[in-house]
Formats: sequence, C-alpha cells, structure tokens
Amino acid sequence: MSNETLINKDGLRIDGRKLHELRPTKIEVGVLSNADGSAYIEQGKNKILAGIYGPKEVHPKHLERPDRAILRCRYHMAPFSVDERKSPAPSRREIEISKVIREALEPAVFLEYYPRTAIDLFIEVLQAHGGTRCASLTVASLALADGGIPMRDLTAACASGKVDGKLVLDLNDIEDKKGEADVPLAYMPNLDVITLLQMDGQLTIEEFTEAINLSLEGCKQLHVLQKEALKSKYISVREGVKE
Amino acid sequence: MKNDSVNRGSGQWVVPGSFLGVIEEFTPGAGTYADKGKIFANVGGQTLLDMQNRTVAIFPATKGVKVPQVGSYVVGQVSKMQSKTAVIRILKIGKEALSGVFSGLLYISDASQSYVDSIHDVCKAGDIIRAKVISQTNRLNHLSTVERQLGVLYAFCSQCGHLLQQKRYKMQCDNCGKVERRKTAEDYGQAIISDGDKEYESKDSAQKQERARD
Repeated sequence: MSNETLINKDGLRIDGRKLHELRPTKIEVGVLSNADGSAYIEQGKNKILAGIYGPKEVHPKHLERPDRAILRCRYHMAPFSVDERKSPAPSRREIEISKVIREALEPAVFLEYYPRTAIDLFIEVLQAHGGTRCASLTVASLALADGGIPMRDLTAACASGKVDGKLVLDLNDIEDKKGEADVPLAYMPNLDVITLLQMDGQLTIEEFTEAINLSLEGCKQLHVLQKEALKSKYISVREGVKE
Repeated sequence: MKNDSVNRGSGQWVVPGSFLGVIEEFTPGAGTYADKGKIFANVGGQTLLDMQNRTVAIFPATKGVKVPQVGSYVVGQVSKMQSKTAVIRILKIGKEALSGVFSGLLYISDASQSYVDSIHDVCKAGDIIRAKVISQTNRLNHLSTVERQLGVLYAFCSQCGHLLQQKRYKMQCDNCGKVERRKTAEDYGQAIISDGDKEYESKDSAQKQERARD
C-alpha cells in the first residue's frame, strides 16, 4: 500500500482534485423544524447535521454563569457513519472534538447577552470521510446564525496538510491517514481571528506557515458558501411570509 | 469584506459578521455591534440605514431569541405549589413557544388585585396560566397575574383531571361536579397557546380555532 501514490503524475489527488482545491461543498440552512436553528453540510463524502436549542434554563443549576450563557456542544458520530460500526457511546475522541468545537465557537457568540442560560448545540455526523471537525464547525456556526443567536462573525473551518511531500488543502480520510501532517484551522473571516489551530504529524516551520495560509484560503472560500446558504434561507423565509 | 458596504442603502441582506460601516458615520443600532471602530451585523437580516439620525440597524430574518425579561407576557404550566407560591414552567414568551423551559415564581400577593385566602384559590398544579414577568431579582422570574387578561387559561379538576367550566363565581367540573376557585384570565377556556398564534385573539376567532383539549 505504501507504494501507492496519493498524488499522481499530473498533480491530481486520489479523488481527482488539484492540490489547493476544496471538496465539492453543499450547505443548507434551516433543515430541522423542531430545532431553534439548524444546518446541514455535505463536503465531499462528509454529511453532517447540526441543530441548536435555546437559550434555555440551565440544568444542572451549578453550571449556570451569572454573567453569560453557557454553550454546550455534542459532536457525535452515527454508528453507520464510518466503515466499521462505531459504538454510539461518545468516545474519547468525540468528547475532545466537542470541547474543541465549543471553544472555537465561544469567541464568536455574544454569550454575555443571555446570562444564566444555556445554548445546546448538537452535531451529528451521518457520514464521515475526513475533516469532520472542520466541517462540523462550519455547519455549527450556521446553525447558531439560523437560530438568531447574536454572533460577532461566522466561523469557517478547513484543514490543510502534507501528502506525498506536498501541501494540500482539505484532506479527505485517506490523505489524513496516510499523509504526513494535518493542520485543522477555524477562522472568523471578517474579524481576521483564528479560533482553532491544531496539528497532527510533522512539518517544518516554513511548511507550517504555508499550511496555515492554505487553510485560511480554504476558510475564506467556505465563508462565501456559508453566506450564500444563509442568504438563500433568509430570502425563502421572506417569500414565505409574503405568500 | 469590504464589498458588503459598497452598495449603500437599506434592504441589503447581511449575515452575522458583515461589515456595515465605521462608527464615525453611524451609531450602531439593534442587531449590530461595534468593534475597534467598525460596525458589524450580529444577526442575519436586512440593513436599515437611517440617514437622518445616522444610525444603522438590522431587521432580523430569523425569529428572535426569546428569554423572559421584565415586562414580558408568558404562558406556562403550574408545576409545583408551595404554601404561598406557585412554581410555573414557562413554555411560551410573547407569542413564540420555547424549545426549552424557564421557571417562574408566582407569589400570592402578586396573584390578584383582591385579597385571596390561599394560593390554591389562584391556581393548582397542572393549570395553564398566563402571567407577566415583574422582576428578576434573586435570579428568579417573579410573575404577576394581577391584570385582567392574566391568570389561569385552562384549569383542571383536582379530583378527576377534567377541564373546569367557568360559572359565575366558581369553577365547576362537569364530570364529577367538584367546585373550585381560580384567578382566571378574561379569556378563560378560549386562549390559544400553540406556537406563533396571536397572543390576544378576538373572542370569536379564538373559538373557531380552539382545538379540542382532552
């Protein structure tokens, strides 16, 4: 397997993308009728659903904060989302990703507007194919916006990494597992603030800087898609009112 | 980022984080915030530029976030009775149903304009009640049912659980004949409490839409 190349002679990756190309992405906002806000993303073979509920009263009471709302996040992978059945119980990895997503979204949300309340965010990965933490962040930010929660900015997230000695954007599952490094990054484009930065594998300082810039470019492209998805939802709502 | 501000006029669609202008040209209004001298949207919707007063605001496209505030009218269910208070699970604020619940406290002295002997003459556990938030001291939503349109909307017999019928000075159960007392709202038995309905319907349209409760 190690002889198999991830990038072919023409400089194309195993799924036919160029080195600095995102996976085809489809975003839809307002897909769940019972949630206060929701969104759905398909990024390549990733399929992720996010819903938010609240602000609502905090239970258990000791978690509530007198000066702000708390954001509670659950990232969960469906048992059928990966090749081998995954136990539905939250794994160590899922608990950590929940925390990482929550901390990446907290700077974007005006939590101080709703003291002593909780905002619950549920992210369900229906199909996983690499880069789900980034796609989850992208879609969670839209679910919050759809719920009317005041936010400083939308958060877009995208990974870049090193595969076959070359820096590539938006790694899929195979590239993530066989590649040399992976740099997920979340970004608020209007404020120019990075809210999540992780690295797995090894990169030189030059490669790392370049990888960050690559991820930032990916986030900016995703942000355009996020804006389009939100605006088309707003316009459809407005038309629904007129009818 | 900058291209959002090129077209100056009301009615532009914006998303949270969209750049709207700088604080030298506008005062940030509802749905906006200022950061380092720049004004951004904090909710999605359409811009409202007031060139006379130099303010910018957002007309939100999403349904607003609902939390109880002093002065808001709420509908809820009585969950627990204590000797002088009733604990109410708030299910609806204004005309929007909540996905979660908030709790509120109705104290006997805030229940009615006239003297009441006992909180049990105001409401009982399980009743649907409309109230107003009068204070939020001690981290509690203190409720009042003094106004005419406030009070019990649907009361249930404490003996058999059937809907009580309002007679002149009393509440009576058609099923078992038990007589009880309540502080009722003026539209007792006719209020619509589902999501999105108008909070105070006129009486005939309310009757038409009233769904069978059992």
